[in-house]
Formats: sequence, C-alpha cells, structure tokens
Amino acid sequence: MPEPMGFYTDTTVCIGCKACEVACKEWNQLPSTNGGLNTLSGNSYDNTRRLDGIHWRHVKFIEQFPEDRRDGRWLLMSDVCKHCVQAGCLEVCPTGAIIRTEFDTVVIQSDACNGCRDCIAACPFGVIEMNPVAGTAQKCTLCYDRLQGGLEPACSKACPTQSIQFGTINQLRDRAQKRVAQLHQSGETRAYLYGADEKILGGLNSFYLLVDKPEVYGLPSDPKMPTRNLKPGAWFSVLGGMLVGLLGVISFRNRGSGEPRP
Amino acid sequence: MFAAMHAGRVKGMLCIGQNPATSLNAKLEREALRKLDWLVVKDNWIHETANFWKSAPEVTKGEVKAQDIKTEVFFFPVSQVAEDEGTYTNTQRLLQFHFKAAEAPGDCRSDTWFVYQLGKRLKKLYADSTLPRDEGWKNLVFDYEHEGENERKKGDPSNPKILKEINGFATDDPGRHMPGFAALKDDGSTTCASWIYCGVYPAPDKNLAARRTADPPGTPGAQLGWGWAWPSNRRVMYNRASADPDGKPWSERKKWVWWDEEQKKWTGYDVPDYPATKAPTDKAKPGAAGMDALPGTAPFIMRPDGLGWLFVPSGLVDGPLPTHYEPAESPVKNPLYEQQTSPVMKYWKDDANPLAEVGDPKFPYVMTTYRLTEHYLAGAMSRWNPWLTELQPELFIELSPELAGEKKIANLDWVTISSPRGKIRAKALVTRRLRPFTIDGKVVHQVGMPWHWGYEGLSRGDIVNELTALVGDPNVSIHEGKTFVCNVEKA
Repeated sequence: MPEPMGFYTDTTVCIGCKACEVACKEWNQLPSTNGGLNTLSGNSYDNTRRLDGIHWRHVKFIEQFPEDRRDGRWLLMSDVCKHCVQAGCLEVCPTGAIIRTEFDTVVIQSDACNGCRDCIAACPFGVIEMNPVAGTAQKCTLCYDRLQGGLEPACSKACPTQSIQFGTINQLRDRAQKRVAQLHQSGETRAYLYGADEKILGGLNSFYLLVDKPEVYGLPSDPKMPTRNLKPGAWFSVLGGMLVGLLGVISFRNRGSGEPRP
Repeated sequence: MFAAMHAGRVKGMLCIGQNPATSLNAKLEREALRKLDWLVVKDNWIHETANFWKSAPEVTKGEVKAQDIKTEVFFFPVSQVAEDEGTYTNTQRLLQFHFKAAEAPGDCRSDTWFVYQLGKRLKKLYADSTLPRDEGWKNLVFDYEHEGENERKKGDPSNPKILKEINGFATDDPGRHMPGFAALKDDGSTTCASWIYCGVYPAPDKNLAARRTADPPGTPGAQLGWGWAWPSNRRVMYNRASADPDGKPWSERKKWVWWDEEQKKWTGYDVPDYPATKAPTDKAKPGAAGMDALPGTAPFIMRPDGLGWLFVPSGLVDGPLPTHYEPAESPVKNPLYEQQTSPVMKYWKDDANPLAEVGDPKFPYVMTTYRLTEHYLAGAMSRWNPWLTELQPELFIELSPELAGEKKIANLDWVTISSPRGKIRAKALVTRRLRPFTIDGKVVHQVGMPWHWGYEGLSRGDIVNELTALVGDPNVSIHEGKTFVCNVEKA
C-alpha cells in the first residue's frame, strides 16, 4: 500500500501562467467552455471563473491594491480538489461511485456515477460539477491513472515555478513547514498553511500555503461535513416517531371502546 | 522591408511562420501586401496575412474591394513541431533534437521540405543559364535525399544530412565529420556551413543535440550532457569572468570556471571559454594578433581589448553612455534634456505612418502593449486552440479606476481606442494595477493592451498594432510598439 499522496501548493511562488490548467485539460482530455468561445469575465485575468466538471484546476487572481497603490499585491492561487481525509462527497454518494484510492485520494468513477448531484452539494469547497459531455459529476482525480503508472500529476509536472508540488503528505508537510519558517524569517509573517493538519476535515491531501485569510482565496475557514447533522437529525427522527406514535394512541384511544356497531 | 514594400519596391514575399498583417502599423503593412505581385504563406492556419485580401477590416468595411487586389496568394499548410524531427535552438544557444511523434495530416509539410523542394526547383530553373550571375545556382550542391523510401516519395530531405552539412566534414572524405571549429581549414580541405555549430555532429553516429543526460540534483548543473550548445558546448559565454584576475573563483557559491595552478590549465564545471593553457599571469604581446594580443586577465575574448565596456565609444550608433530620451510619441517634454527623442532613432517616413506632436491633446494617454502567457505572438499558435482561447477569450484594454471614472467607463464596457494611425475597439478591464502618473505637475494616465488578436481564428478581436507606428531603435531596429500615445472613449 503506497503512502498517502497529494499536493502542496505554495501560492507565494505562483505566477498565474495557467500551465496547470492547460496540462490538466490536455492529459484528461477535458472540453473547453463553449468550444473555446468563452467571454471575458472582467475579474482580473481569471476567465475560468470556478472549478467545475470541465475545469479541474483553476488559477485565482486576487488583486489587492489600495487606492494609493502602496503595498499592492496580486495574490495568485491554483485551486483544485482538496482530496479531504473526511470527504463529504464520498459520504453522500449513493452509488459508491466515489472511492478512496490506495493513494488516499478521492476519485469519482464516471462509469458508476448516476448523475444525482448529491456530491455537488456535499462538497464544502464547490469543487464538483457536472461534466456536460460525460453527463456525470466530475473533478480532479489527482491523475489517478498517472499515479498508477508511477508518474506525477500533469499539473505539478507542468508547473514552472514548483508552486504546485506533488509527493507523500508527510514529505510535503515537512517541506511546507520549512517554507513557512523561511517566509516568516524573511519578513512575510502572514504566511501559514491551510489544511496541512487534521483541523480541517481530518486534513486536506491538497493543502496550501497562504498569506491572507482563507476567505480572501474563496476557501471556508471552518468547513463542515454533511454528516454533522446526522446525530441531531437522528434524535429528531426518534423524537418525531415517538410523537406520531403518541398522537396515534391519543387519536384512536376511543376506537373499539364505543358502542357496538349495528 | 514593409516600408520598401509599401513604396512598391518589393514584388514578392515568402511569409514563413510570420503574420505581418497584424504587425506594427498593421494597416500600412496590409496596404504593402496589396502592392505585391505574389505572396506565399506557409503556416498552420489560414491566418490574417493569408486572408488579408478577404477579411481585413478595410475589405469588410468596403474601403478596399477584394477584386481590386492583384496580389496572388499561395497558402502552404505546414506540419507542427511534433510531426517532424529536427532541432530546436533557443536563445540560450542550446540545440535540442526532437523526434517525430505523429504524421502530419493531409498535405501539411515541414519547413525543411519546403526549402529543399524550393531549392531543387530553382536549381533546375537555372540549369541551362549561361549568365555569370547564375553560377551560384548551377554549382549549388543540394543532395539531401532521405534514406527512407516513404519520405523520399513525399519529397522530404534527410535531416541528418543537413545537420552534417551545417556541422562540417572533410571535403575528400564526407564520412569524416568535423569535431569542432578548430579543425576547420581555409584551404578547401574542409567544408562547413556554419562554424558556430561545428562539433554538434562530430561523427555519423554521434548527434550531440540528441543527448538527454541531465546532471544529478544538487550539482552545479552545467548539464553538459544535455543537448549541445554552440560554440563548443559552452553553456555560459565569457565564463573566464567567473574567476578573478588571478583565476580564482570570485565566490565559492558561484564558482564556474577557474585556473588550476597544478595542472596549469583552465578547468571547471563548464567548457572554459578561454584558451585552455593561457595563464592569468600571461602578458599581452605588443603587436601580436588574436588571443596573444590580450593579457590572461581579460575574459571578453571577442572584444578588441578583452574587456567589458560601460563607456562604449564605438560599435553603437548611439552612446557612449545610456541616457533618457522620450519615445517617438509622448504626452510630456523630455524632463532631462532639450533633445526630446533619440536623434538617431529609426523612423520610416510615410503618409501612412504619422506621429503625434508632443502633448497632442487629441491623444492624451500613454499606451503600452504586451503579451499574455496564454497566447503566443500574433496568435497563429494559440488563438486556434480552444484550451487557450477559453483562458483569454477576448481582447481587452486595462485602465485605472481613475481614468475609467473620468471617462464614465465601467468594467467590461466596449471602448474605442485611437492613435494617429488607427482606431480599434476592445472591452474595458478596470484595475488598480494601472495607476495615473504625475509628471511635471500634470496627471498622465496610462493604459495597456495585449496585442495577440486578429480577424481570423477561433478567438477574434481587433488588431492592437493598427495603433502602433513604424519606429525602431537605432542599433538593431527593435520596434517601439511598447509605448505611444492614444485616446480612449466609451464606445
């Protein structure tokens, strides 16, 4: 059994070239928005807009320039499926199409997906969407086919600055912590890791080095599992059942005890 | 060249991997193309230049009628890089061989096929000529027959044979390749097409450009076993400069090439760009020629005194020191000198190439043009690719919120941009990445546009080079399309 594998994305060295997006599309043969006839989003250089069934990598462009332009910065981040250790999508999938692989990654098997869309609602990161060509829910597979062949995923392979790094989670966490320490030492004290420990959904197998609040990057600071409602929900069910039973007893209490029918 | 073409002095053009219909002062360039008798376009797609007679803005607007254009246009579909074997030479001087991965579709042919076939046909055409000026053609050796039968039928030349010709060989023994340019003679006993590449193919079974041995991680990384760099596989030119005058590395961390006192020779990670045994203590010999005229402390061996120059009294058209001139067009007077622009800049005078006066109120803004990572040059290799066009789908103009507010332009509004040369439309991208400047007490706005678009392809848009002028730098004519003046209005 291989060790858990994943991505560590150091957003401080991303240059926004989108090579990861193109490499992903090329390897996974994903179609383009409207056959390539897309429209300008008007939101910086981001015309991909979001992760969905045909965009498994998405580079975000966040412009932070105050009116006087002092200390302006352009935050860039290549977003992808987090391959959560506690994965909401996997939990809700009714057909078992979503599996945890031997690499501890989360993969949707397209041939077993019935297109119910439950996983789309269950993902706290908005990663999954329907692929209109396949008619199934799709997302990053962490290049499961390449991993099985001993290759690294297409996006990290294509990344020219090593912003996206692939490896074992232990090795990546170690490297990421060293990088945070290095950044703190050189004055970038805002640097921290998002999802590199168990606090977020038991750990994200694709975690990030960020320099601003998670929400700035469109990430939830405290994402929840769909099962969080299971226990209270179950108690409510028991309570509801008892209530119905009680009402039944009350409603029908006179039946049979009244006057005999003619 | 296009100025000469515009003046009617050029009759025909082979346009290989270029797209001048979208180039500087594009309207002038297309007007020049209309004056040609013939135009051959060889490219992956029928791009703007191939279709300038049909879909250029002046034709679609009815200003020029297609039937009035006499230029005969020939289009040759060309294979892509992966459909052909050959070498890439990059600006780092590195030659890297690549193998053929797939057959080109239909009638697509490689560049080498085209040049080989053209050469053979021209040679045939001049075979019976008795004119002295055609002796060159008659004596041209052009035998690059491919070894494979299928390729020969298709008319493809043999790339190894071409590489051998470039590398050089013994004239009386063509099987003996030249090992390096030091082996070349000026008595006719050797033949070599280009001395800088001599040594890339030192033996029939040794194509050094095809090497793929990378240095292990954590080593200095000269990568001498990866491909081949001209000249002599040197990765860093003038690398003797990495050592101090005594031949010791300036810094332990950056050491590259140094003098080995014991072995009395230059050594290091890279191939030394210096005579191997010329010691740092060597004195220049008065009256000598070549390297003997330089002391062992002088690393810049191609310079007459072997030294790098900050003060350059000769060799440059301008100089001897860098200074600031305003561009050919500017909203402000040169704050440094009375001389507004470089007195030796190249400007092609033509009625279709006008320049705005300094501070012209009709064109108050500074425009800069640039490229996006998603597109390549005029777009013939990217605007036809849906994976790239979805990433940058439309032409835009970036402007500051301050200017957008003044002009009542909202994000994604259509905007008209004009310069003394032309007028185009683009969508507004309002961003604080652009900022107004205060120059000499006056607020000057800057706008920016990527220039990859044109009227053909999957993603289409106006040509930004309709706005630029034909202005070049005095030394190598690099154009000044990066800065000029314009006006911006809400469309």
